[in-house]
Amino acid sequence: MKKNRGKLIFILACILMSLYFLYPTYKDYRYTQKLRGLKGEDSVKYIEQNELDIRDARMKRIKLGLDLQGGMRVVLEVNVSKLLEGMAKNKDDTFTSVMAEIQADAKTNPDLDLIDALTAKFKEKQIRMSRYYFTIRDSDDDITKKLHDQTTEAIDRAMEIVRNRVDQYGVSEPSIQKQGGRRIIVELPGVSKETEVRQLLQGTALLEFKLLINPEIASKVYQTIDKTLAGKPIVDSLSADTSKTIASKTDTTKIDTTLISDTSLVAANQEQAKSREQAMKEHPFFALATSIQDQKEGWNGELYTAEENRARVNRILEKPEIQKLIPSDMAFVWSAKHKFISEGKKYFILYAVKKNPELTGGVIVNAHSTIDPTYNRPIVTMEMNSEGARDWARITGANVNKRIAIIMDNACFSAPNVITKITGGNSEITGMESVDEAKLLEIVLKAGALPAPVDIIQQATVGPSLGEDSVRQGIWAALLALGLTAVFMLVYYSTGGTMADLALLLNILFVLGVLAAFQGTLTLPGIAGLILTVAVAVDANVLIYERIREESVTGKTLSAAIDAGYTRAFTAIFDSNLTAFITGVILYQFGSGPVQGFALTLMIGIVASVFSAVVVSRVIIDILVERGIHVHFG
Amino acid sequence: MRFFGKTNIDFMGKRKMWYAISIIVISLGFISLAIKGFQFGIDFLGGTELIIEFSQPPDVGQIRTMMDNAGFPKSELKAYGGETRILLRTQLQGEGTVVGDRIKAALMQTFPNLNPKVLQEQKIGPKVGLELRRNALLAVISSLLAMGIYVAFRFKFIYGVGAIAALFHDVAVALGFVSILGGLTMYTNFEIDQNMIAAFLTIIGLSMNDNVVIFDRIRENQKMFRSMGLETLINKSLNETLSRTIITSGTIFIITLILFLFGGEVNRGFAFALTIGITTGTYSSIYIASAVVLDYTNYKQRKKVVQQAVVEKAV
Repeated sequence: MKKNRGKLIFILACILMSLYFLYPTYKDYRYTQKLRGLKGEDSVKYIEQNELDIRDARMKRIKLGLDLQGGMRVVLEVNVSKLLEGMAKNKDDTFTSVMAEIQADAKTNPDLDLIDALTAKFKEKQIRMSRYYFTIRDSDDDITKKLHDQTTEAIDRAMEIVRNRVDQYGVSEPSIQKQGGRRIIVELPGVSKETEVRQLLQGTALLEFKLLINPEIASKVYQTIDKTLAGKPIVDSLSADTSKTIASKTDTTKIDTTLISDTSLVAANQEQAKSREQAMKEHPFFALATSIQDQKEGWNGELYTAEENRARVNRILEKPEIQKLIPSDMAFVWSAKHKFISEGKKYFILYAVKKNPELTGGVIVNAHSTIDPTYNRPIVTMEMNSEGARDWARITGANVNKRIAIIMDNACFSAPNVITKITGGNSEITGMESVDEAKLLEIVLKAGALPAPVDIIQQATVGPSLGEDSVRQGIWAALLALGLTAVFMLVYYSTGGTMADLALLLNILFVLGVLAAFQGTLTLPGIAGLILTVAVAVDANVLIYERIREESVTGKTLSAAIDAGYTRAFTAIFDSNLTAFITGVILYQFGSGPVQGFALTLMIGIVASVFSAVVVSRVIIDILVERGIHVHFG
Repeated sequence: MRFFGKTNIDFMGKRKMWYAISIIVISLGFISLAIKGFQFGIDFLGGTELIIEFSQPPDVGQIRTMMDNAGFPKSELKAYGGETRILLRTQLQGEGTVVGDRIKAALMQTFPNLNPKVLQEQKIGPKVGLELRRNALLAVISSLLAMGIYVAFRFKFIYGVGAIAALFHDVAVALGFVSILGGLTMYTNFEIDQNMIAAFLTIIGLSMNDNVVIFDRIRENQKMFRSMGLETLINKSLNETLSRTIITSGTIFIITLILFLFGGEVNRGFAFALTIGITTGTYSSIYIASAVVLDYTNYKQRKKVVQQAVVEKAV
C-alpha cells in the first residue's frame, strides 16, 4: 500500500479533476432535459430563475461540433486582388492588363502571392509602383511592404465587421477565428436562416456619424414611453410569452413572500424579485433600461440594459403606439460592446441619436491608435479628405459640447464629446479605457472607407435533424463497442479483465475530462476517435496480461509474474502508442474541422489509455495482491 | 479462458505464397482504381453538395433533368444511406453560395409534394479543394515516413523499411477495397474525403502498433537466444505474440465493425476502411514487415558470402 500511496493519490486527483470538469456538462444536460419537459411560460420562468447557472454550465460544457448540433460553418478569405484594385489610384490600361495577368496566374497557381507577383510584374515592365500606390516618394520595396500590411489590416477589419454583425444578429456561442493571415472561420451553431446569415457576412460595412439627441429631450421621450407603458396593462403582442411570465411571476411572489420569513436566502431573493416586480409595474421601461444619474453633471443620455433584455426593449420601441411618441428624427442604437458587468450580466448602452447621419465613413482617409505621450493614455487619430474635413468643421463647430456617435452597421462603437470646432480634418478621440479599445476604434473607423473584400471559399450547413441522427448513432455505436469489449475482457481475463474494464471506464472519463478542461469540441469523427480509444486501451491491457500469462508459465510466483509482465510489456506499449500518437499529431496538423476533432480525441485517448493501463490497473492489482486476494488472468 | 495455447506455426516458411497473394490483392484494387478512378469527396473536388431528404423516394431521372435544366449538367446523384436521402453534387463553381441556392430553388419548384429538406449543404471553393487534397497527400506520406524513421531509429534501419512496406501495403489494400466495393450498393457509396484520409492515418497508426509489438519481441529474443537463426527467431517471436495479436486485432475489428454498421452514414466509409485496414494490418505485421526484415537480412548475408567468396578467389 505504502509504495503505491503517491500513485493512488495522483489517480484519485485525476478522477476528481475529470469529474469536476465534466460536472458542467452534466448540469447542462440536466437543464436541457428539464427545459424540454417544461412548457412555454414555465420554461421561460425556469430559465429566468436559473439563468446564471444555466449560462455557466453552457459555457463550460463539452462543446458539440457543428456536425452534431447543426449549424453553419463559413470560411472567408480576403480577396487580395479586389483589395489591390480598390487601393490603386490613377488606374490605366497598363494597370488593368497587369492585374488581369496576375489573376490568370493565380488561377493556375493557388499559392501565388498576388502582391509579390504584382511587384515582379511591374519590375519586369520597369514601372514604378508609386505610380499607382501611395506617394511618389515611396520605393517599390516600401510599397510592397505597405501592401502586405494592408492585407493584414484588411483581415482584422473584416473580422471586426463580421463579429459586430454576428453579435447583433444574436447567435448563441458563435466562434470567429482567424486562420493563417488571410482567412476567417465563422462557426454559427444552430443557425438555420442561411441566406440571411451569408448576407450578414459579406458586403461593405456602413460607418456613420450621428449626433446624440440632447439628454433633456431624450429624457422626456423616455419618460412618456415609460408612463404610457405603465398606464396600460402590458400586452406585448410580439412576445406573448414574456408578458405572460411577468404576470405569473407576480402571482408566485405574492404567495411566497407571505409564507417565507426574511432570514433565509430564498426570502432575500424573493424580496429582490418583489422589488424588481414592483419596479416593473411602476416603470416598465426604466426597469429594463436603467439610467445612472450623476449628481454633478446630470444625466449623460445613456440607458443601460442587460444583454438578455435588449430584445424586449427593441420590441417595446417598435410598438406602433410607442412609435407615435417618438419624434420622427429620433432613432435608437445599441453600443457594440457591453459597458459594464453587474451581477454577472453584461450591460449595453442604449443611445438616442438623430435619425440622419451627419457624415458617413467614406470621407475617412486614415485612422491610427496610439498612446498620447503627454497624458499617457490611448488615443485615436482620424484623418479625413478635404471634402469631409469641410463638413466636419461645420458639424463640430455647430455642436461643441455635444456628443457624436460613431456607428458601424447599426452598432455604436464610441460616442465622443465634441470639444472644439475641428478644422483641417484631423481629429483626436480620447477617453478610451484601454489600448485594445483604441485599436478596435481604429479598425472600425477604417472599415467605413477602406475595403475589406472577402469571399466565401468554404461553407457547410448541417441541418439539426442530421446532427441528432448522428449523435444518436454515435452514442449507440460507442456504447455497444464499449459493452462488448468489456464483457469480452471480463470473460477472457477474469480478475485481470475486471481491472482492465475499470481502467477502460476511467480512460473514457479522463478523455472526456481533458476535452472539457480544454474546452475541446466533440465532433462525429471525434466520437469515432473515442470508440477507437477503447480499442487502444484494450491493447495495452492485452499486452500486459498476455505477458503475465507467459511469465507465469515459466514458474514465477504471481507477484513476480505481474512485475515481469508490466516491466517487459512496457517498451512495446510505449513504442507502439508513441507511433500511433505521432499519426494523431500529423492528422491534427493537416486535417481541418471535424477531422481535427478525431485527431484530438485519439491523441488524448492514447495518453489516457497508457496511463490507465500502466498505472491505474497496476496499482489496483498490486493492492489486491498485497491483501492476499488471488488475482486471475484467465 | 484461453483461445491459444502454445503455438508453433511456421509463419516464415510460407511467406513467398503470401507475398504473391498480397500482390494479387493490391493489383486487383489498383485495377479497380484504374477503371473507376478515385471517387473523391466534395472536400477534395470542390463544388457544391447537398444532401436532401424527401418524404418519399424521388424519381432520380427527374432530379437529373432538373439539375440539367437548372444549369448544372453532369451533376452527380447518389443515394445517401437510404432511398429517401439523395446526395446532389456539382463541381461547377459560383460566386458565394449561388449554386446551392439555385439548386434548392429548383428542388422546391420541381418536388413541392415530396417536401425536400436540406440535411446538409457544403460548398468548397476551388482553392480550398486543391489545398485539402495536397494536405491529405502530405499527411499520408509524412506519417508513413515518420513511422519508418521512428522504427529505424528505435530498432534497426531494415525494420523501418519493413514497417513502411507493411504500412504501404495496408493503405493500398484498404484503398483497393474501398474502390472495389464503392458504389456497389447504396450503403457502400464510399468516397475518398478527409474522413477517409483520417481512416488511412489511423490504419497506419494501429498497424504500426502491431509491427512494433512484434519487432520488440524479436529484439528481446535476439538478446536471449543469440545463436538462433533469424527465421526461427522470427517464427518464435510471432508465435509468442500471436495470442496478443489476435485478441487485440479481434477487439479492434469488432469495434470498427460496430462503427461501420451502426455509426451512421458519415462514419461509414471511414469505418469500412478501418475494418479492412485492421485486418490487413495484423496480417502485414506478420507477412510483410517481419518477412521483409528476414528476406533483406538473408539477401545481405548471401551478398556477404558471395563477396567473401570473390575475395577468397581473388586471393
